[in-house]
Amino acid sequence: MTTPKKRGCLGCSFPILIIVAVIVLVIVVIGFLSGSIGQAMFHIDFPSWMVVEKPEIHLAAPHLFTIFGFPITNTMLAGWITVIFLVLMSWIITRRMKLVPNRLQAVFEFILGWIYDFCESVAGKENGRKFFPVVCTIFLFVAFNAWLSLIPGYGSILVHSNGSEHELLRGANTDLNTPLAIALISCVFVGYYGFKHIGMGWLKQYFNFGPLFRSIGRLFKGKINFMDIFSGFINGFVGGLEFLSMLIRIISFTFRLFGNMTAGEILVLIAAFIFPLAVNWLVYGLELFVGFIQALVFAGLTLVFATMAVASHEAESHEELKNSEKEVLKEGT
Amino acid sequence: MEDGGISQLGINWGVLITQIVTFIILLVLLRLFAYKPLMRMMDERSKRVKESMEQAESVKEQSTRAEEELKKQLEEASREGQERISRAVKAGEELKQKAGEEAKRETEKLIIKARSEIQQERDAAVTEVRREFADLTVLAAGKVIEKSLDKEEHRELIDKVLEESSGPKKE
Repeated sequence: MTTPKKRGCLGCSFPILIIVAVIVLVIVVIGFLSGSIGQAMFHIDFPSWMVVEKPEIHLAAPHLFTIFGFPITNTMLAGWITVIFLVLMSWIITRRMKLVPNRLQAVFEFILGWIYDFCESVAGKENGRKFFPVVCTIFLFVAFNAWLSLIPGYGSILVHSNGSEHELLRGANTDLNTPLAIALISCVFVGYYGFKHIGMGWLKQYFNFGPLFRSIGRLFKGKINFMDIFSGFINGFVGGLEFLSMLIRIISFTFRLFGNMTAGEILVLIAAFIFPLAVNWLVYGLELFVGFIQALVFAGLTLVFATMAVASHEAESHEELKNSEKEVLKEGT
Repeated sequence: MEDGGISQLGINWGVLITQIVTFIILLVLLRLFAYKPLMRMMDERSKRVKESMEQAESVKEQSTRAEEELKKQLEEASREGQERISRAVKAGEELKQKAGEEAKRETEKLIIKARSEIQQERDAAVTEVRREFADLTVLAAGKVIEKSLDKEEHRELIDKVLEESSGPKKE
């Protein structure tokens, strides 16, 4: 399907190109006929191993087995595989780092350097360096969770447990717990830097009841000023709104990633059910892209929120950061 | 949202905490294995670049300085050579002048000497001629007057005459 049927291109000679085109065509036709649409239209009997069963979609990750009474899910296994993969790769690469890099090291440095530059451009030189490890880890974890789950074996190796069949591995991002975990860490990270840089002022952003209590105190002293009490209420209310927005941030972080990744997985399953063999070539390309974008959005938003928390109360930079947040979101959609 | 909905989405404290721990482990390990070496490498590289740039700058400066020095030296050398040449020329001139003067003096000396020799020659010749002439005159007079006069007396007379005649000429 992706092979253009033009002569003398893709570096292939003409006969080879014809053979490739024929194979592609055969795969497409067989895929169509063995898929659910083809079955409904033509009723051709295929051997049972070629017919894809109707996929069962469950959002909750199943418990495969328990270690020391602790339930292990397939998404946890996938997350650990991502961790092992990332750590092993970086260990292999950084074990013998050279000033003049070889190819693998150059790629590694390019990716991390790109994220580092991103951090510096958003948060400034000093803060960018501080934020970089967490932001980069979020990016790498989300991206490689998404990409590794595209490798054959994820979702296709089945194990029996608890009386039913389950996949041994399933993309960690498709379990609501993983995005929620990263979102909580992101929130704690933002809070930590906000508190560290602005101190109690950062908390006052969310719990701003001081003016209200002061005005009530003045009321007891006999000075009645209703405007004071009113603005005190408003301040407290605004603080509540800020707090609410922080909670909503966590939820939106969680469900954006969860929704995108789960939708991607379901799309792969459905495409394999309706039109086997052929359509998933495109879906895989799309999923690679979506995984990258979601990782970028997650890391980018964390970075922007952290920068906002550090640079709060400065109206100008606040405005600027709002804009950059919008930009990151726009990239995501 | 009711309880059934949440559990269907799969929120589970155990898994959540496990994933948080997993992420933190990943963060720590990556910090150890990826970010620290990378930062070190990047810092070192930028330091190296800065150093080499500074070095290049200093080398450039040095070369300009060396060039200037060379130019100065060349100028110095050429000036010195010029000076030497002019000094040599002057010395030659002097030598020439001195030689000329010497030659002139020598010549003059020679001329004076020659002149005095010529004078002596002439005096000698004149004396000789006078004597010859006197003899001849005596002979001639003797022939004319045929022994009328004594030879001694005659000579005396002629001498006197000659003396008188050549006296004013000799001045």
